[in-house]
Amino acid sequence: MADFDVNKHGVGAVSVLNVKGFLDAHTAPELENAFNTLLNEKQYKVVVNFKDLQYISSAGLGVFMAYVETMRENNGDIKFSNLKDDVYNIFDLLGFPLLYEFYKDQTEAIEKYNQAK
Amino acid sequence: MQLSDNNIASRNLSALVDFSSNINSNLNLDFALNNLLLTCFGKLQTTKGIIALFDNNTLKPKLNKGFDGTQVNKLEELSKENFEAELNLFAKKNKIGITEKIISSDQLLGFILLGEKLSKTEYNAEDKQFLSTIVKIGSTTIKNIQNFEKLNDINKQLDSKINQLNSLFDLGKEFSSILEIDRVSKLLIYSISAQMLVSKYAIIIFNENHFDILESKFDKQNLTDLLNNCDCKTILSPKIISKESNDFIELYELGVKVIVPMVIKGKTKGSILLGKRITNSSYSQSDLEYLSSVANLAIISIENSRLFKQAVEKQIIEKDLEIARSIQKNLLPRKLPTSEKYEISAINRTAKMVGGDFYDVVQLTKTKTLIAIADVSGKGIQASLLMANLQAFLKSIYKQNYKLEEASNFLNDLVSENTTNGSFITFFWGVYDSESNEFSYVNMGHNPPLLVNEKGITKLKKGGMILGVMKTIIPYAGETVKLQKDDLILLFTDGITEAMNKDNDEYSDERLEKLVTENYKSDSKIILENILDDVTKHTAGSVQSDDITCLVLKIK
Repeated sequence: MADFDVNKHGVGAVSVLNVKGFLDAHTAPELENAFNTLLNEKQYKVVVNFKDLQYISSAGLGVFMAYVETMRENNGDIKFSNLKDDVYNIFDLLGFPLLYEFYKDQTEAIEKYNQAK
Repeated sequence: MQLSDNNIASRNLSALVDFSSNINSNLNLDFALNNLLLTCFGKLQTTKGIIALFDNNTLKPKLNKGFDGTQVNKLEELSKENFEAELNLFAKKNKIGITEKIISSDQLLGFILLGEKLSKTEYNAEDKQFLSTIVKIGSTTIKNIQNFEKLNDINKQLDSKINQLNSLFDLGKEFSSILEIDRVSKLLIYSISAQMLVSKYAIIIFNENHFDILESKFDKQNLTDLLNNCDCKTILSPKIISKESNDFIELYELGVKVIVPMVIKGKTKGSILLGKRITNSSYSQSDLEYLSSVANLAIISIENSRLFKQAVEKQIIEKDLEIARSIQKNLLPRKLPTSEKYEISAINRTAKMVGGDFYDVVQLTKTKTLIAIADVSGKGIQASLLMANLQAFLKSIYKQNYKLEEASNFLNDLVSENTTNGSFITFFWGVYDSESNEFSYVNMGHNPPLLVNEKGITKLKKGGMILGVMKTIIPYAGETVKLQKDDLILLFTDGITEAMNKDNDEYSDERLEKLVTENYKSDSKIILENILDDVTKHTAGSVQSDDITCLVLKIK
């Protein structure tokens, strides 16, 4: 089974997390670690790029639930971009579009942060 | 005239063809209804119209052009018993020019109601014919779209069910391999918060007499207070609590909307409390089923983690005791001296928790033999180490040619310098001289050994302070007693006299004294066996709580 990987890079004041592979209960801790690192570095403006994500389970989605409040309390957010249709369907099914912003492309999401400044 | 009839017919036909190709071009209900109404407007020259469809037996306006909205909404209130008449009344009141049923395969889907014609003339037969045809075409499309939407709904429900099952599968796989309770509760929270879109939650685990809050987004102090006063343990299946529910109303006020028990073998071992969902929607039966499955999966994992932790801790203790037991065993003399003039026998039986019993027998000179017995405070490794110290001190003291009293003073100084945390030792030692047949001893706080002979029992009490409590201030003063043939000295630890039976009654000094008085003429080994048998008889069915040590010096 393809594993999971997350890497981070900064675009201005925004941190982009590229997630790759399978995000489920087994691999969720890696994403948690990535978010904990962001919190330590006081990086609260986050875009998660799903371009290379094959699969997400609800435990994986839960990680975003766990961190979004902290990000928003610190004038940041978690925004999503580049989702494949089947991955987006799962977000949609659970009602995430009510709570999170979704963008076709990473630059749109970053742009949104920059406009807000 | 013929021509104009043809013209009208051809115009009607082209409108119908146009309409039917358009209305079927997509599966959007609003688009179809709009198209239907507008076509009627154009062909029948009217500017007002309503399309209302049945939804669960209630007529609901779906599209309204030109009529007052509040009036139109009254369509929903038409009584079922007197439907036709009330609909007619509605039509009259709102100046409806014509009403047509929307019927598909004998099923009444709804109505189309049109306002008066612009020309203020009545709708004629031709108009009615046109309307009837166009509604027939439209009704099939409406029915198709309704079926399609129903299918979509079912699909969505199925998707959501599949997603929940996937989530369960995912967690089940993961839970089985985790042995940390924190990790399990975190994953549980991730899955539930995403699956239910809920950000207020708590996980509580019930133990024998108390509970642990593993996670909580509710006020922890309030929650603790409430849980102390309410019995979530009695809930065996998920329970939605509301303003109207009589019990758990305080939890409701804290924001708890549903309590999901975590059940193993019919016993509630924990609870998941959830607040209101971000979407504000209520928890459906299917949601509760999902939550219940997740909860029961998680509690198995949590219970396993707990048992695993317990087993590991137990193993550590066992290992500790094993070490203690082997240290102690190595400190006891391997061989006891033998002589024609006396015999010495000893037994030492360690308890499961390993106490601190110790004895030693040393041949000092050809005629002098030293015997010692001790009970070190504490249990396990701690006691073993102090005992090892004591043994080392004794080994070095034996070699000096001190008198017993002096040696006692010195030993006490050494031990009290080297003990910490209030440790101490009850200690007794004595030297038997086979030439003079005298026994000199010093008792340092130990259960007085018994000198048994035909005159009865003498307790060897002389000595001083318990060993190791403080440096020697008052020197130890022992005693020398004269021994004769068949005399017996019994040294023992409180593991014997305080051995408990099932009713927590101690074996007692009296019983021991009675036994040795009756038996003192036997061989030393037999006396020991008798004592041990009698103690075993007394404690039958209960666990040995302390070490048992016994040493006999018997003059031949």
